[in-house]
Amino acid sequence: MTTIIDKKTATIDVGALVEPDRVHRSLYTDPAIFDLEMERIWRNTWIYVGHESQVKEPGQYYATTIGKEPVLLTRHSDGNFYVLYNRCAHKGALLVGDSCGKSKELRCCYHGWRFDLDGALLGIPLEQGYDDTRFDRKGPEANMARAARAESYRGFVFASLSEGVPNLKTWLGGVASSIDNMVDRAPEGELEVAGGVLRYEHDCNWKFFIENLNDMMHPMVAHQSSSLTARVVAKKELAPDAPVPSAIEIIAPFTESYSFFDDMGVHAFDYGHGYSGGKTSIHAKYSDIPEYNQLMEAAYGKDRVAEIMTVNRHNTIFYPSATIKGAIQTMRVVRPVAVDKTIIESWTFRLKGAPDELLQRSILYCNLINSSANLVGPDDQESYRRQQLGLESQSKDWVTMHRDFGKDEEIAPGHLYAKGSSDISFRNQYRAWKKYMTEGAL
Amino acid sequence: MSTALEFHHRVSQFLFREARLLDERRWAEWEELYLEDGVYWAPATPEQPDPVNHVSLIFENQLLRKVRIARFASPAAPSLHPFPRTAHIVTNIMIDAHDTKSGALSVNSRFLMIEYRRGVQRFYGGAYAHDLVETAGAFLIRQKKVDLVNCEGPLESSSIWF
Repeated sequence: MTTIIDKKTATIDVGALVEPDRVHRSLYTDPAIFDLEMERIWRNTWIYVGHESQVKEPGQYYATTIGKEPVLLTRHSDGNFYVLYNRCAHKGALLVGDSCGKSKELRCCYHGWRFDLDGALLGIPLEQGYDDTRFDRKGPEANMARAARAESYRGFVFASLSEGVPNLKTWLGGVASSIDNMVDRAPEGELEVAGGVLRYEHDCNWKFFIENLNDMMHPMVAHQSSSLTARVVAKKELAPDAPVPSAIEIIAPFTESYSFFDDMGVHAFDYGHGYSGGKTSIHAKYSDIPEYNQLMEAAYGKDRVAEIMTVNRHNTIFYPSATIKGAIQTMRVVRPVAVDKTIIESWTFRLKGAPDELLQRSILYCNLINSSANLVGPDDQESYRRQQLGLESQSKDWVTMHRDFGKDEEIAPGHLYAKGSSDISFRNQYRAWKKYMTEGAL
Repeated sequence: MSTALEFHHRVSQFLFREARLLDERRWAEWEELYLEDGVYWAPATPEQPDPVNHVSLIFENQLLRKVRIARFASPAAPSLHPFPRTAHIVTNIMIDAHDTKSGALSVNSRFLMIEYRRGVQRFYGGAYAHDLVETAGAFLIRQKKVDLVNCEGPLESSSIWF
């Protein structure tokens, strides 16, 4: 075997860490690899920033991160949104210290430099002090820096800190349709962020979370204690003819059979993207909300509504930073902090023009599945943590991703499909990982 | 002892007992402290107006509390092996409202929960708001609301009621 990590020269041959059917354990444990990922992946491709509805009005801003970079999503009085580095052009302080707000200008807390919501410098106290110096108050150095690229796809704002990326829609490719389906579920054809956010700290590498999303071999094992228990308790506590409470409708399908998850299937696309489920998923059997159906039919007509509702995907991954469940209008966003620390944000969306029950169901879903204190998520997180600890072991270097290797079906160029139990999703993610890490750009 | 002092003592004892049942894992007895339609609610933001239109850390009715209790006994829950140990400390107890006619009362207090699991000790603290009702000389919980000081997170996994 070739040396992957040369201890003498302290260099890493990152390309050798990923083979088509297995990856090296250091991907999850080595801080140097994490730092490289932040440079070569997170600064080099489209990362989800926020939703346009979070900055509806001029002056609104939302502070977040792209990898290790503090950034702002803002709305300027010109009506456009901007993605800016949250750093004063003067001495580097964060211009925004809270998470969101509204202001006519961004004023630094330290020396009072003022910036417009597009990053342009508005003023400096005792400005004449810079006369006859190298510092050009009218030049780009005096403005807040902007992300190299920022685009919205139907309200979802992504930004890239480097220029060399295709446009957002091209990059999204086959998973743009998952956003379409989520938005099309709104009678008014628009979404807005509503219902708050849950921030769940994971003591593990960010890739464990992303891998888990379309890992169809884990739910029936890892979620036995919550999902199976919920089935048993509901059966015991509820009258046989009682309607099934929404909470049980949500938790119970996590312990569907292997064949159910196999049938959901997994689709894989370029850049590491993918989704599971299609015509059916664990979200397909929620009770109807009749008023919603009527509003949808009035907006789109029966045939189109049937088309929209037939699409029932589980998790769609926008590798590496975000995942949505279109059918239940939730999104989780990945914020890597360190090699063994990741924050997962969980957001809910209102379908504009839909009855409140829809948003309330999304909220119930997040309470039950995505909260740090819920019955389901802690068992996932514990499994990731045990991987994080277990992969410190030098007894084996490789993590297997061999299941159904070589059996992927090519639906179209750049679009692969396999049954749910396949490891296709992992292999696809690491194919993209290797490309980013070795070729730099896309 | 004056009646008011005695009443305050009884209320405090009820809160202490509730906390003790959690620490001693006497889940079924703890659940019996709730009215059948009683709820447990830990909001995800300060001053959150309701548990329906905004996400919460926990919002549980009786059925969901019973699911959580049954899960505690499951051998298949990795996050509960080893099982967390806790100490709930309740203090600063004040009765904000008391309707002697209906027996309804609102009790505000501060709490600290120390949790230990697999080598790590964590602290959770904040305010409890208990909506109680007194019937036949016994208190029952209509709603227990837990406002964690760090409810917005980020928060790590936790499985035991605060």
